[in-house]
Amino acid sequence: MATKIGVYFDAANIGGGLDIDVLEEGLKKKFSSECPVVKKFAVLADNADAIRADIEAEGLDGVLIVGPSPRQDVEIYRFPVLTEYVNLRMHAVLSYEEPDGSHPEPGKPASSLLQQIATDYINMGVVKLLKGNLPDSAALENGVHRILVVGGGFTGLTAANEAAKSGYEVVLVEKTDVLGGACNNIPTASPLHSPWEDKEAVDIAGRIAQVKSNSKIQIFMSSTVAKLEGQPGEYKVTLNTPKGEETLEVGSAVVACGWTALDSKYLESMGLGVSPRVMTSAEFGKKFLAGQIDARRIAFVLDTTIAEEVMLKQEAEEKAAAEAAAQEAAEAPAAPEEEGAEKPGYVKQSLETINHLRYSNAVNAVGMLRLANEVCEKSNDVTQCYVLYKDMVVPGILERFYKKMQDRLGLMMTKAEVTGIKDTGDHVVVSCEKTLLGMDFDLDCDLVVLPTGLVPVSAKEAIMQFQYRQGPEFPDLELFDGYLDSNYICFPYETRRTGVYAAGCVRQPMTLDGCLLDARGAVLKAIQAIECAEHGVAVHPRSGDHTYPVFNFVRCTQCKRCTEECPFGALDDDEKGTPKPNPGRCRRCGTCFGACPERVISFANYNIDQIGSMIREVNVPKDFKAEGPRILILACENDAYPALDMAAMQGHTWSPYVRIIPVRCLGSVNAIWISDAMSKGYDGVMLLGCKYGDDYQCHFVKGSELCARRKVNIAETLNRLGVQPERVELFELAIDEADRVTDMIDGFVKTIEEMGPNPFKAM
Amino acid sequence: MAKVTLTPDSGFTRELMEAGGESLKKCYQCATCSVACPMAPANQPYPRKEMVWASWGQKDKLMSDPDIWLCHNCGNCAELCPRGAKPADVMSAARNVVYKNLVGPAKFGEWMSSPKGLPILFLIPALLWFIVWAIRAACVGEWFPRVDGHIVFGRIFFGDYTIDPIFMLTFFTALYILIKGCIKLWKQFSKGTDKVLTLGPKKPWYVHLVCMLWEEIGSHKKFEECEMGPKTGQPENSRKTGHMCMIVGFVALAFVTAVVAFLHWGGYVFPAIFMHTPMHLYNPIKIIANVGAIALLAGLVMLTLRRKRLNVKFTSSNYHDWYLLGIIWAVTLTGIFAQVFRLADAVHCAFVVYYLHLVFVWMLFAYLPWSKLGHLAYRTTALLFTRMYGRG
Repeated sequence: MATKIGVYFDAANIGGGLDIDVLEEGLKKKFSSECPVVKKFAVLADNADAIRADIEAEGLDGVLIVGPSPRQDVEIYRFPVLTEYVNLRMHAVLSYEEPDGSHPEPGKPASSLLQQIATDYINMGVVKLLKGNLPDSAALENGVHRILVVGGGFTGLTAANEAAKSGYEVVLVEKTDVLGGACNNIPTASPLHSPWEDKEAVDIAGRIAQVKSNSKIQIFMSSTVAKLEGQPGEYKVTLNTPKGEETLEVGSAVVACGWTALDSKYLESMGLGVSPRVMTSAEFGKKFLAGQIDARRIAFVLDTTIAEEVMLKQEAEEKAAAEAAAQEAAEAPAAPEEEGAEKPGYVKQSLETINHLRYSNAVNAVGMLRLANEVCEKSNDVTQCYVLYKDMVVPGILERFYKKMQDRLGLMMTKAEVTGIKDTGDHVVVSCEKTLLGMDFDLDCDLVVLPTGLVPVSAKEAIMQFQYRQGPEFPDLELFDGYLDSNYICFPYETRRTGVYAAGCVRQPMTLDGCLLDARGAVLKAIQAIECAEHGVAVHPRSGDHTYPVFNFVRCTQCKRCTEECPFGALDDDEKGTPKPNPGRCRRCGTCFGACPERVISFANYNIDQIGSMIREVNVPKDFKAEGPRILILACENDAYPALDMAAMQGHTWSPYVRIIPVRCLGSVNAIWISDAMSKGYDGVMLLGCKYGDDYQCHFVKGSELCARRKVNIAETLNRLGVQPERVELFELAIDEADRVTDMIDGFVKTIEEMGPNPFKAM
Repeated sequence: MAKVTLTPDSGFTRELMEAGGESLKKCYQCATCSVACPMAPANQPYPRKEMVWASWGQKDKLMSDPDIWLCHNCGNCAELCPRGAKPADVMSAARNVVYKNLVGPAKFGEWMSSPKGLPILFLIPALLWFIVWAIRAACVGEWFPRVDGHIVFGRIFFGDYTIDPIFMLTFFTALYILIKGCIKLWKQFSKGTDKVLTLGPKKPWYVHLVCMLWEEIGSHKKFEECEMGPKTGQPENSRKTGHMCMIVGFVALAFVTAVVAFLHWGGYVFPAIFMHTPMHLYNPIKIIANVGAIALLAGLVMLTLRRKRLNVKFTSSNYHDWYLLGIIWAVTLTGIFAQVFRLADAVHCAFVVYYLHLVFVWMLFAYLPWSKLGHLAYRTTALLFTRMYGRG
């Protein structure tokens, strides 16, 4: 708790005609004992040393920077004491408009309304400091400097090598009895280096030798992960090895377990598994490598519409059948539940679908170009390869590779809808429609090569077997058809299990250059996770945050909401249901404390009482008509808050009746704050969060979505109290939507004005 | 189920690549070329479709495609091509393959398509005219004779018995082959083209022919149109003027030849009009001949310089281009120098150059159906065909 606060006004970042002297006076009067130092500087950024001197001389334990946005000059104001900002620049001055929507004349002294806004924000800032604490450390004494790499394919081998090169020990776990994975079956690879033009040798043997000869790398062949428990920096992994179980300590993990080929049943309608002249590109690569390809006319078919349509029909039929069965079951009397039947443990559902084929189209396009070119090259163009595509998807710089592969006499390409593949007994007839040749035609081929669906191993197996309260599997994998995708638009490699990073084709189908990047990126993240655990700070997205949730177990009712709602499975629990925090897994979003009905969870510098006090610190006038409504904005600090800053900078203004408080995530909004606001007399509350739904942008996966769900409960409470639930509204504001801010805020203020004052205001 | 079974033939693709379309595989079918082309009709524009046919070795499709003759090779497509596939060169290569394969004997097509065939192509007329020279020299008793102190080429290469019959035979044989080629081409076009409904009153073929000849040759309008594309923008005069000069030169020389032949052979029937050669320098016919030769030379210089200046990044000249320019250079230079040496009374030089002149003229005519000059018949056929089918 800060008790001696230094308040520093940054005149250069205030402006707008605000009378800083009056603000200083007010502050000194209200917080005379709490704020012994109040100073004004023309340009505060040049005087950080003066603040440092004050901290030293006056023994300050809190610093309040008044003026700039907290997103500005953070490097300059790094002090050993609790530091907060009052964002007068953006949220009071630049965004100010008169209640009637007009703009103040430049150069004139600020109106009393603007002066009031500034006073409110400053008071809120002081209270925030008074109710905040410097966090103590959750750092591990000794993190384990060992990285678990699951999968011994190209990505896994690269990851192991890179981690070892960076000075970390590696435990490499391979399920089969050979290293190299899918690379063992390809003749050459798409390019890995500049100029990104020609095929490249993978040198998988060289990579394996490098791993084998490195004393820092411990290899477990024919092994899988039996369980993983603990948290970053001090994980304990148990492996199923041919010699029995083996338990090791690791600091973090890279999952690079790759893919398996899509079951041939999905492509049966295109002849796979039916005709010996039809095979997948993966099989073709294998056979070509073994010198078993002597076909002279080869069709590489990238259009799999036939199979997709068949599967779609089949799915519809299955769904109808299931519905009918369900109806039947509903009509029949329910079978009595067997007494003493043991609850089944976790059963992994296979997430394999034909969709995996579509997700793999870029890899297949690049791969087929490579194979076709290679076959032509080997036979000096005696072999003719027909590449029939619906979409030629060659991502990024591989365009150069595409150019080079295409420039081959025997390689012929056309966009086409392949409508039939028929084996005549002597050859295969491929029927094509809507081609670039301006006609529909049949092609007589000796061999048809179909794309390979890259089904991530994570779609079929629970790879890591987490010993977490939320189960052994990564959450919500079905949303991504089983791919261990990062789930975040900004953070590749990250899974929803902190300290475990996905790389390569298990994350998304990719060519080897992508795998190379992924392996390196994931290793860097894995190293960062260990180092951060040792320093007791969050890895991401709040990198470097020292705080972590602290539980007041005395009041905990073991309701389990926090343990269930934590997006990252950071909380385990004991038999009674008391949460057991794992600070290393935590990403500091505050979803747990937003969920807690007893409000037993807090962060040192972010807690329920603190925000509640800030809310109460605003001067809410009683006279709604003459002095206007007051509206509280709780803004997500990752998306909405920067959007507000940008809006103000771009010259957008908004109603002077709103007061903005940043929150870590809308998921951390506790219902009590709404009650606080309503009983204080605010007329409305805006919850500004990020986008949710399919293209969600939440740094913490589902914060604003969760908030929207909780809002329903809040609305019920408000209804009971006789307050219109419409007074609390949630808005989605993406970081790049600064232009929507004015309409959003002013529109809500207008609605509130029409609604009239909060009935609690008079009380 | 599709009706056609496609038989891709990479051999034909290779042939096209060797005939000047070596970049054709680079095409990725974006169709920028078809949009860039100021001449391509809105309906099934070229050269996008020709590019994919070329890549797939669709010989029949390409050989029966009149569109390759609609292209006047301005190079807009090549300059805008994002892949450097040089569609203009591929169209040109397709025409070269037509020159090579349309008519027999196949050997001639083959010899005409690469410098390797040049020696034998030269040796045939060289030998022929040497035999004529040798026989006449034996009759006259002299290899380099004079008549009344003047050089008279007719003394050795006597018109009535040597030049005229040989050239008439050559000319009419070439003409016969050319006509045969045109008929074959027409049939191929008809087979490869679905009947297009033409709106409005149909014009008879000869009206189309006259209109077409006016646009192509009379006004050279098409050349201008061709160059008004998005990239080149400004008409490049050297091409239009050069081509025009060449045509004026050829027409003038053809006219002179016809007049001389008429007066000479007519003179046997009506002695009154019989004309002796060589003519006096101020004879109007002679003047026309010399003006024609100068026009030819000017055209040649312009077209040759233009080809030299071409940016090889976008378009380059192939062997057929250089063969035609080369042979016309040879004919023109030997023609002019034969006259110059004759007037300068350099008897040895005059006869040797005149002999070479005969060789080159024979090459020009005899190999016409397999050379780029064949375009005067084939392109005419194609343009007439497209007009009659409401295209182009």
